[in-house]
Amino acid sequence: MVVGDFATKRQLVIIGGGPGGYHAAIRAAQLGLEVTLIEKEKLGGVCLHKGCIPSKSLTQTAANFSGLSQFKQMGITVPDASFDYETFSNYYTNVVEGLQKGVEALIKANKIEHLTGSASFMSGERIGIDSGHHFEMYEFEYALIATGSTPKLPDQASLSNRLMTPHTLWSLKECPESLVVYGSDYFALEAAMAYRQLGSEVTLVIPGEGFGLDAGIEKELQRVLKKNKVKVFKNHQWISAEESGETVTVTLAKGTEEKISVDASHVLFIDGYAPNVDGLGLEAIELERDENGFIMVNEHSQTSTSNIYAAGDCAIGMKLASKAIKQGKTAAEHMAGQPSAYSLSLIPFVVHTNPPITAVGLTEEQAISEGYEVKTGQFSMNGNGFASILGQKEGLAKMVVDAKTEVVLGIHMMGAGAVEMIQAGTIALEMVAREEDLAYPVYAHPAINEAWLEAVESMSGKAIHVPPARKKEKSSV
Amino acid sequence: MVEVKLHDIGEGMHEGEVIHFFVKTGDTVKIDQPLVEVQTDKVTAELPSPAAGTIKDIKVKEGDVVTVGSVILTIEAVSAPPSKSKSEPEPAQEQPVVDRIIATPKNTVFTGGISTLNKRILAAPFTRKIARENGVDIEKIEGTGPGGRVTDQDVYRFIENGSAPKREETPETVEPQITTSAAATATASKDAEEIPFKGRRKQIAKKMVQSLATIPHVTHFEEIDVTAVMDLKKELKAMDPDNKRGMNVSVAAFFVKAIQIALKDFPIFNAKLDEEKEVIKLEKNVNIGIATDSDEGLIVPVISHVEQRNVRDIAVDMKDKITRAKTNKLKGSDMTGGTFTISNVGPLGSIAATPIINHPEVALMAFHKTKKTPVVIGNEIVIRSMMNVSMSFDHRVADGATAVMFTNRVKELIENPYFMTLELI
Repeated sequence: MVVGDFATKRQLVIIGGGPGGYHAAIRAAQLGLEVTLIEKEKLGGVCLHKGCIPSKSLTQTAANFSGLSQFKQMGITVPDASFDYETFSNYYTNVVEGLQKGVEALIKANKIEHLTGSASFMSGERIGIDSGHHFEMYEFEYALIATGSTPKLPDQASLSNRLMTPHTLWSLKECPESLVVYGSDYFALEAAMAYRQLGSEVTLVIPGEGFGLDAGIEKELQRVLKKNKVKVFKNHQWISAEESGETVTVTLAKGTEEKISVDASHVLFIDGYAPNVDGLGLEAIELERDENGFIMVNEHSQTSTSNIYAAGDCAIGMKLASKAIKQGKTAAEHMAGQPSAYSLSLIPFVVHTNPPITAVGLTEEQAISEGYEVKTGQFSMNGNGFASILGQKEGLAKMVVDAKTEVVLGIHMMGAGAVEMIQAGTIALEMVAREEDLAYPVYAHPAINEAWLEAVESMSGKAIHVPPARKKEKSSV
Repeated sequence: MVEVKLHDIGEGMHEGEVIHFFVKTGDTVKIDQPLVEVQTDKVTAELPSPAAGTIKDIKVKEGDVVTVGSVILTIEAVSAPPSKSKSEPEPAQEQPVVDRIIATPKNTVFTGGISTLNKRILAAPFTRKIARENGVDIEKIEGTGPGGRVTDQDVYRFIENGSAPKREETPETVEPQITTSAAATATASKDAEEIPFKGRRKQIAKKMVQSLATIPHVTHFEEIDVTAVMDLKKELKAMDPDNKRGMNVSVAAFFVKAIQIALKDFPIFNAKLDEEKEVIKLEKNVNIGIATDSDEGLIVPVISHVEQRNVRDIAVDMKDKITRAKTNKLKGSDMTGGTFTISNVGPLGSIAATPIINHPEVALMAFHKTKKTPVVIGNEIVIRSMMNVSMSFDHRVADGATAVMFTNRVKELIENPYFMTLELI
C-alpha cells in the first residue's frame, strides 16, 4: 500500500509573502535552497499593504504638515497650507506599489517559485495549495509559516468605513472630522497624533493607566498629547459602538462607574491580534501554541515540529516587522545548516509619533522588578542646542544602568531623530556597553545625539546643560 | 470544489489504469483517505483524498485508462468557510490549543517560549556566534569580561576544557541524611569511576530494549568480494586526484546504492510493520540510516531519498552527516525518516555481529572488516579482498529465504559494480 504518491516535491515551502516570508525566501535562495513562496494576496504582507508603509506615510505626512508652523519664525512663509487626503492616499499607494514591484523583482531574480493560493498542511511533510480552481499537493523538506496576524474585532459590532481596525483604516477616503482611538499600543498613539496633527478632533481612550513606556517618557508623552489637544481617557473599557448616519457612538465604562458615551465620525479599535492560522490545517501537524493560539518557536524559529519553522506575527512575541525579518532569515539559515539564532531581548521599539518615541532594553520599572540595583540619567531635549534650531524641543533621553556593573540596561528617548538614533543604542546594548562606553566617545555637535551623552553624564552629576541643583536630583534614583 | 487529478509521480508515467474506487458519489471522506487505486506500468498506487468533504462526481470508470492531468473525481470540500461574518467575533481562544496529533518528526528538545527568547545574554553578537558554531550553550559559560560579559576567550576556554561550568547551583548545605549510604557511595566511587547514565546513552539503551523486546531478530551472514568495487574506487580517484569533479567517492557510498537497488527488488526490507492497523507499510522512499560512532555514543544520521540520488551525491551527504554526527551538529531532521540502516564497522575491525534493528525498521546490515584472503576462483587460488556482512531482519515481516535472496542481490551488485549501471534512471 502506498499512500501519498501524488505530491510534487519541494525543498522549502514558505507560507506568507510578508516581511518574514520574503526575507526568509531570499535568504534561503542565497544559501542554495529551492524555495516555493505561497501568498494568498500580494507580496509584502501587512507591513507593506496595511501596516508599516501606509502608517509611516501617514505619520510622516502629519509630521511634515504640523512642522510647517515652525517655518514661519525662520522666515519661510507657506501661504494657505492645506492637506488633501486623496492626494496623500495616492501618494502612499504609489509608494506601496513601487516597493511591491521591488519585492516581486527580487523574488524573481532569486529564482524563487511564487504561487498564489491558500496553503493547508496535510501532514508534517505535505501541504496542499488551493489556487481557486486548482488544488496541488506538495511534499516538503522544510516549511516556514509566516502568515501574520489580524487585529481583533470589537464585540457585537461590525466593521464599517467608520468603525475600523489598523488593517481596515487604509480604506479611509477622507481625514476623519472626529476620531476616537481605542487602544494603548504604538499604533493607537501614532494614529491619534497623526490624525490630530492633520486636523481631526481626536479622543484617545486607553483601557489602562498608560502605554507601557518608561515612566519618564510616559510623563512627557502625556504632556505632549495634552499640548496637541488630544483628549485622553484613561482606565476606560470598551463596551459597545453604535453607528447612526455619520456618527459612531462609543460607549465606555470606567471600572464599575457609570458608563459614558463619546460621539465621533470615525472610530479606530485596537485590542490585540489573533494569529492567521485558520484553514492552515494546523490540526494535521503537531505544533505547540500559546494560550492565544500563537505558534511557539525557539531561538532558531523552529516550532515544536523540527522541520517546520514559524516567523513574524503568527509566532509568539511582539508584532513587529523587524522581528519577522530577523526570524525569517534565521529560519532560512538554520534550515541550510547554519547555527543561526536570534533573541527578542534587544529589539528596538519605535513609535512614530511626532516627536517620535523609541526604546531598547529595559525600562527603569522592569529593571527594578528584575532585581537590578538601578541608576538612571535623564536629559530634556529642551537643553539640546540642535533641538532648538529645529524648533523641536519636546522630549527627553533616559539611560537605565545597572549600578553594580555599570552595564547599560535600557535606553529610552522621545524627541526628533529618535528613530534613527535608537540603532546606536541597540548596538551598544548588544555589545554589552557600560556607562563609560557611552560617555567616552566624541559626539557630533551640534546634534540631537548629544542628549544621550548628557543623559549618561547626568548619572554622575556631570551633565553640562543641567543646572547643579537639578543635576543632583536627576542623578539619584 | 476540489478536483482530484491523476498526477505524474515523477517517473515519467503518462497514464494509469483505474483499478478500483474505494468511494462512491455522496460518500464523506477524510483527508488522506484512499480514494482510488491506480495502476501504472511501474507501480500500483492509491490516490489519497487531498481534502475532507463529500464525493461529488466520479468522472471515470474502473478499468479506464486515464492520462496524467485528467480529473478523476471531484470533492465538495468542507474546509472552513472562506470568510467569516465580520459581525460574529471569533470565539476567543482562551484555552491552550492542542492540535490533533499525527505522526510527524517531533522536536524532542524543543525549548521554545517567550521567556527564553526574551533573555538577554551578556556577550557581543560575534562572541555568541562563536559559541553557536561550536555547539556551546553560552549560558553555561561564566563571563570574565567587563560587567560579567562573556568574552571570546571565555568561549574558547570552555570549548577546550569542555567544562568550567557556570556557577553550578550546588545546594550550599546538603546534610547527608543517611550517613551510611553516603559513606557507601564515597567508597564505591573510589573503586569505580561513575559515568552518568543519561542523555544519549540512556536514549540508546531505551531504543535497544524496545527493539529487542518487539522484534524477533534473525541475523544471517554472507561474505562479499569487494575487490572490484575497491578497484573502481581507486580508478575513479586516480582520474580525479584533487576531487575537483567529485569522483573521489567512498566505497561505502557504493554499498548504500547497492542496498537501495536491492531494496527496490525486495521492498519488504524497506518497510514498517504497524501491528495495530494490521499492515506492513512498504516505504516508497529509501532513506538509509548510517549508524555512526560518536563520543557520546551511537547516532544514526539519515541519507534521504537514496533512490533519487547518484553515488557521488550519496558520498558527499554521507561524509557531511558523519562529520556532523561526530561533532554533535546534526539537526533533528537529519536523523528522522530512516527506512533501513547500515552499520559500517569494517574500518574498526570485526568479522561478524548480530546487530539490533533500528526499530521500527525491518532490517539492518552491518559491513565488517575487509581483508585480503586466498580465494578459489575456477581452479586457482587468487588473492581477493573479502568482507563479511551481517544482516539482521524482523522475522515477523520477512522470512529467511527472502533475506538470503536480498543479501545475494546486494552481494551481486557489490561484486559486479557495473551491474549498477543497469539501474541508472
